[in-house]
Amino acid sequence: MHHAHIDKFAYQDSPVHRLDARVKFIVMVIFMAFVISLPPNSVVILSLYAIGPFAVLVSGRIPLRFVFKQIIIVSPFILVLALSCPFYDRTPVSVSFGPLSWQITAGWLRCCNILAKFTVTMMCIIALVSTTRFTNLLEGLGKLGIPKILTAQLGLLYRYIFVVIDKAQHMLLSRRARSSNYLGFRNELKTASAMIGSLFIRSIDTAENISIAMQGRGFNQKWRSLSQMHTGWADYLFIVLSAIYILALELFAKPVLT
Amino acid sequence: MTSAIEIKDYSYAYADGTAALKDISLIIEHGQKVVLIGPNGAGKSTLLLAMAGFVKGTGKIFVDGIEVNKKNNKKIRGLIGCCVENPEDQLFMPTIYEDVAFGPLNLRLEKDEVKARTRQALETVGLWSLADKPPHHLSAGQKRAAAIATILSMKPGIITLDEPTSSLDPTCRNKILRIIRELPQTIIVATCDMNFAAEFAEHAVLIDNGQKTAEGEPQKIMAEEQLMTSHGLEVPWKYRKSI
Repeated sequence: MHHAHIDKFAYQDSPVHRLDARVKFIVMVIFMAFVISLPPNSVVILSLYAIGPFAVLVSGRIPLRFVFKQIIIVSPFILVLALSCPFYDRTPVSVSFGPLSWQITAGWLRCCNILAKFTVTMMCIIALVSTTRFTNLLEGLGKLGIPKILTAQLGLLYRYIFVVIDKAQHMLLSRRARSSNYLGFRNELKTASAMIGSLFIRSIDTAENISIAMQGRGFNQKWRSLSQMHTGWADYLFIVLSAIYILALELFAKPVLT
Repeated sequence: MTSAIEIKDYSYAYADGTAALKDISLIIEHGQKVVLIGPNGAGKSTLLLAMAGFVKGTGKIFVDGIEVNKKNNKKIRGLIGCCVENPEDQLFMPTIYEDVAFGPLNLRLEKDEVKARTRQALETVGLWSLADKPPHHLSAGQKRAAAIATILSMKPGIITLDEPTSSLDPTCRNKILRIIRELPQTIIVATCDMNFAAEFAEHAVLIDNGQKTAEGEPQKIMAEEQLMTSHGLEVPWKYRKSI
């Protein structure tokens, strides 16, 4: 079965794709920290903050349709959180944008702020994972001091999540092929629990076989890897441009809403 | 000179007491291409695991003259490359390249040597151009070839393969056959694909119900219809009498 991978554009080639994963990761974390720390009345200047990740996405030739689709997929939780704001904070605030000015509640302002920050930070994350192979990202995290055991776990998770999804999809297909009618809530629940149990047992089997395959190749609880990372002039240029961009926003982009 | 594998009266039972292997004795010489044939649940895979020291039964197994036991596990796994049945289990690293490099890295070889071995193994199975791909981007045949490359990069003297042709179309099956037939190592394949076994083997061992039932030249064993059908197998096309 084929899956829509979130990193399916990470295998393209572009100047952004060729940047060191560590550099991209560090710049993204710093940039996101600045975005998150903006005050609630910074809705409009968040659009200036969106230019950075937007530029990375465009130069990495990542389709914007894909980007917005991913944002929508993960948005329900944030939407619930954001849309609850107008209900608990009804303090009136005056909003002005150029010659226009009007009054809304602080709850609505907070709601817009959460959604805008969510969109910008999601663009950052998608820009990172769509221009960096997951393996390079893991290697970069390892080089940045994240314990090897944790990056190895993430590597195994990335490797086997698709295998487990495949198994689950095959089971669902097999169940659909044999049940044309709704069997009632209790029976459906019983079937679902049996399927989850079966998936769990199969996962244990898989884990045992992986363990055999690892030990068969001399694994002795210590992860070793071939490092292929190097930082070049393009990485330093990216760091300098990112620093100028973030500092310029911090110094000159002041909230225009009051 | 020692044999590649020597098994003396080896028995193994699962935790619930079910006998998986009963008094198996077997000698495999260096460079031999051997098939373990038998129906599903005969004990072929368990025997392969026993050779690499993954299951512990009674009796003795020697790999290149070294007894398989806990003390010698490290040495044994340097001598014998064990490829499990499902390539999804064999390929556990995020990319094919890293997977093939995993074994040589654990042998603590120099990085240049690891890179050279990885490239050579991937070229042998025709997957060098896909080295940076994650395993879930490969076809079933490519995954199987990559699983074999993970063993080749360790350069073991003996290779065991469990059902290497399961779920493969004829083209992929023939490719795997071509790859492993050309390898200089001792190769032991557990399979119930009789046509593959007939094409590959120089020596055949029939196992059923945990026991060695017959052993000898492939034609002698596999051409005997009565023997094959009584053990849930079939005579391969190669040995069928023309109608």
